[in-house]
Parts: sequence; structure tokens; C-alpha cells
Amino acid sequence: MSLTQQRPSAVTAALAEDRLGVPSIVFFVISAAAPLMVVAGSVPTAYTVTGVIGVPFAFLLLGAVFALFAVGYVTMARHVVNAGAFYAYAAQGLGRTQGVATAWVALLAYNALQLGLYGIIGSAAEPLLTDWFGGSPPWWVIALVAWALTGVLGLLRVEVNGKILSILLISEIAIVLLFDFGDVTHAAAGGLSFEGFTPGALFVPGVGAALATVVAGFAGIESSVVFAEESKDRHRTVPIATYLGIAIIAVLYSFSAWAQTVPTGPDGIVKAASEQGTELIFNQAAAHLGSAVSTIGSVLFVTSSVACMIAFHNTTARYIFALGRENVLPSVFGRTSARTAAPIAGSLLQTVLGLIVITVYAVSGLDPVTKMFFIFGTFGGLGLLTLLTVTSISVIVFFSRDPRGETTWRTRVAPALAILALCVIIGLTLVNFDTVLGVEPDSILRWVLPGIFVVAIVFGLVWGRVLRSTRPEVYANIGLGARAVGGGVK
Amino acid sequence: MIAERVALDVAATPERLYATVQEAGGDPLTRAVLSHVIAEPYHPVGTWLLFFARTIYADVTARMIAAKLLKPPVRHLLKHQPAAPADVNTAAWPLARLNLAVQRRRPPVTRDCLLLGLLAAAGCAQRVLSEHDPPFVAAATAMLPLPLQRLIAQTKVAVGEAVISRR
Repeated sequence: MSLTQQRPSAVTAALAEDRLGVPSIVFFVISAAAPLMVVAGSVPTAYTVTGVIGVPFAFLLLGAVFALFAVGYVTMARHVVNAGAFYAYAAQGLGRTQGVATAWVALLAYNALQLGLYGIIGSAAEPLLTDWFGGSPPWWVIALVAWALTGVLGLLRVEVNGKILSILLISEIAIVLLFDFGDVTHAAAGGLSFEGFTPGALFVPGVGAALATVVAGFAGIESSVVFAEESKDRHRTVPIATYLGIAIIAVLYSFSAWAQTVPTGPDGIVKAASEQGTELIFNQAAAHLGSAVSTIGSVLFVTSSVACMIAFHNTTARYIFALGRENVLPSVFGRTSARTAAPIAGSLLQTVLGLIVITVYAVSGLDPVTKMFFIFGTFGGLGLLTLLTVTSISVIVFFSRDPRGETTWRTRVAPALAILALCVIIGLTLVNFDTVLGVEPDSILRWVLPGIFVVAIVFGLVWGRVLRSTRPEVYANIGLGARAVGGGVK
Repeated sequence: MIAERVALDVAATPERLYATVQEAGGDPLTRAVLSHVIAEPYHPVGTWLLFFARTIYADVTARMIAAKLLKPPVRHLLKHQPAAPADVNTAAWPLARLNLAVQRRRPPVTRDCLLLGLLAAAGCAQRVLSEHDPPFVAAATAMLPLPLQRLIAQTKVAVGEAVISRR
């Protein structure tokens, strides 16, 4: 070894200053999951729509399934470039055509999760506005304000500043824990009941709907591997951050979902959630801890929802950008704004879709929480489950060609168990999709929505074939993301 | 300038830079860049782009000020003016050459082809050129020597990755 090589590298040292540690990555992934939005928005809605009181157990169960999935997921992230997206895994594990189909499913799922958020912002802000100004505009006016804000910030490429995000996130978690404390110390007449944590409370009719809602609460955790290239230690930082993120989400959400049932008792939670909706936990907090704490919580609920919207908007826009860069989508989507370097076309597409969805719901008078936030969230959750399953299959196929020194547990056993669990959850979700939509069991609509994913997969497969025969140079680079333009070589 | 003192090993995977001179010479910035490349020849091109991107804007501005191409930035209490061209015509000339080339669909000289390719890779072409013609840009950059073509491709990769990983 020469003298120059023994000297610490100035280049590596300079670049290392920008590298991310475990806490930074955990912050990024949990902030996309927006704790207060899930606890105040998703959980009461899940109780209302599904009538299942086993939601706390569902969070723990899915936390375990996500952890199982993550074993293979982070292992593959060590061996493939552009591991940031599910379709990259599918392209490198199952084949490029399957990669295109996965990309289409991912686009649908992320879009649904993003668009559904416009349904919750109204009910988050309404109580505050009524409190402060004595009245509130209709939900869609508030949604349009949030929509405009998200759209403009997306074009300007303004990310919510990391420090602000950390402060918001810590405040959110603190206030959720405080609310939980208030709930747990004010148990219903029957005393503390742990029924919500029992499998029997979950596996009742409606279980599939509850599981799909809960999945949406974990959305964002998969983005941890995006930071592989920028992490301090590619082999350790990302796996630790991923498992830690999953554990925090599962335990915090599970405990909070259970705490909500304590003041009402397990028998009263569905009725209370139906009557009070997203105001449930703030009403509970006002009763137990005083109105000041409750108001702080309401403000954080709004900021949490907006931050989540911006995060998902930017994630989806970047996803579209990566596909445009590979020419899987028209190359216009692979361009950036010269002034702000925002992925401009993807961002605009998101904004236009947002306007369409808000307009349709406003005109048709459908309920924004149960019919928009919940249905889009569950639809996105179903897509996410499909993506996790495909990714796990890709992991097994990828390592079956060459284990690359990884253990059988990581490359075969854990992914296989994850596939099994995910397939059961998908099956249950499909069985209960009528509950999700609030339609009759024989309604055609319950098959139409999941059918959209099937259509996306078929179109993706066809499009992949078309690319292979008409543009082989594009086809060869599928799954490489930004590196596709460099001829695939770094 | 860096030209002719650094070469690209396109056969290596990943592609690497290596210095064709043993001693760093030239102006201070060139010396600094060369000495880095000479000292650590094992980094991929992408790493170099990330590394130099950290400081190059300020460094090149300083060098242009030293060469009297730019007037130094003015910073008073009330005034905040960035570095401005000393001579507007000199500053506008390269862009005028590129615009003429695009208008006439006639590929410019090598140096300008490289400039055109880098502008397009960085996503600036639409903003600074009067006409946007991707096939022409592709044809012009295809005339460049392979290492310069790879430099443009690597720049485009770096820009894309910066967008995707929210850098």
C-alpha cells in the first residue's frame, strides 16, 4: 500500500460531513408517516368504518410483518444500485418487464396515499377555525388552500426544513404520549381492558379493512433505503434505521390506538369514533388534560397533515421523475426546473390530480374523511401490500441466482414468511373491501377498485414488452433510476 | 485549465479519473483540483463530481474575479449585489455562439459542444438557449471524444440523483 493510500482521504472525509446517521434517517422515514395524523385521523376512522376493536393488535401484527419484510429488503439494498424504489427491486429480481408493471402499481399506490390526504385536512382544521373565528369554510376550501400550498412548495422544491421537521415530529410524539397518558389515567367504569391487544378482537368480520388502513400508517418506512448512498455506513445505518422506524411506529401507534379505547371502554370506542370522528382524541384530551393541551394537539394535527402532504407530494414527484429519467414514462417527466431543480412535470401532474379529486368530491358531496381519506388510504395500502409482496419475491429470486455471501434467513426464509403473511393480509383485505367502501357485499364497486391495480399490472407488462421491442436501449436501463442516463455505468 | 492534464479511464468499472501529469501546476484552483486527483486516484467520477460540487461555485467565481472577468460582489448594509460580469459582451459571447449553432443546426467546435452538453445535462439548456432541440444537442455531444461524452453522462446522473435523493 502506498503512502498516499494510508493517509485518510480528504475527499471521503469532506463528503462524510454530509452523510446521514441513524437518527436523521429515522426522522425522515417517520415524518412521512406523520404520527399525529395517523393517531388522530386514521385510527378513529378505522374504528368507525370497520367496527373492529383489534386495531392496536393490527399495528403490532403489521409491525412484525414489516420487520420480516425489511430483512430481505435491506439485504438487497446492499447489493443493488438505485434501491430506492420497489420497481428497481422487481426489475433486478424478476425482470425488467415486471419492473415496469411494479412501477405502475407504485405510482397508483403513492398517488392514492397522497391524494387521500386532501380529505383529512379539512376536518383537521375545521375545529380550530370554528374555535378561533366562530365559523369555518367548507372542507374543500381548506383542502384547496392546502393543495395550493403543496403545489407551490413542490414547484419551488421547498422541503420542510429538517430541523423544523424534527421539532414538529418530537412535539407530535410528545403530545400523542401525553394524550395517551390522559386516556390511560381516565379509564371507563369497567377499568383497564386490554381487549384491543388480543388476536380475537382483530380477527372478526372487517379484519381485512382494518389491516389495510393500518398498512397506510407504515407508508414511508420503505424510503429508508433511498439514503443508502448517503448514509454513514451503508451496511449498518440503513438496516438499523429501518428496524427502529418500524418498531417506533408499531409500538407508538398500537399503544395510542389502545389508549383511545380506555376512556370509552372497548365496547364504546366504535360509537364514540363514529360520533366524534377525527375530533375524538382532542375531545378526550380536553376532558382529561384541559383545553390548552387539546388546542396544541389540534394545531399539530394540522401541521402534521400538511407536512405529510408535502412529503408525499415530493416523494411521488421524485418517483415520476426517476421513471421519466429512465424513459419508462415520457422523458418530459425526467426534466427538472432550471431555476429550482424541482422535478417539475411530476410535481405538476400531482397538483392537477389533486385538483381533480378535490373537485369531484366537493361537487358530489361525498364525505371527505370516510369516502376520500379512508378509501384512498386503504386503496394505497392495498397497493403497498402488493408492492411489498412483489419486492419480497424479487429478493428471493435475486439471491437464488447468487447468494452473495448473505445468510439463508435473509435471502429466503424471512422473505418467504413475509410473502405468506402479506398474501393472507391481501386476501383478507379483498374479502372486506365492501366494508372499506361502505357498499353492499354484492356491489360491483368492491371489485372495480382492486381491479384498477390488475389493469395497471397488465398495462405495465404490455408497456414493458413494447419498450423491449421498440426501444431496447431504454429497456436495458430499466430499474437504474438516475443512472439510466449514464448508460448504466457509474 | 484542467484540460489535457486529467484523463478518464473509461475501461474501469466504475469509471475513474487519472492525472496525466505528475505535478500539479497552473492557477491555484487548477493546482488544488489536480493535487486532489493525483493524491487519490481511486475515486469514481461520480464521487469527484459530488466532491467538487461542494466548493466549485465559489472557487470558480473567485478565479473569475481574479482574472477580472467578474466584478467582485458588493455587500453593504443596504446593497447586496452578486458578482457581475466585467464586460457584458465577453460574458454573453459563449451563449451567443451556442444559440447561433442551435439556430443554424450546425454543431459548434468541440469546446462549445461540451458546454452545450453540460448545459443540457444540468437542465439549464431550456433556460439559457433561445431554442430547445434535444436531438441537436444529442448529435452535437455525440461528436465529442468518448471521455467528454462520459463526463456529460455522469453529470446528468449526478443531477438526477441529487433530485431523487433530495440533496
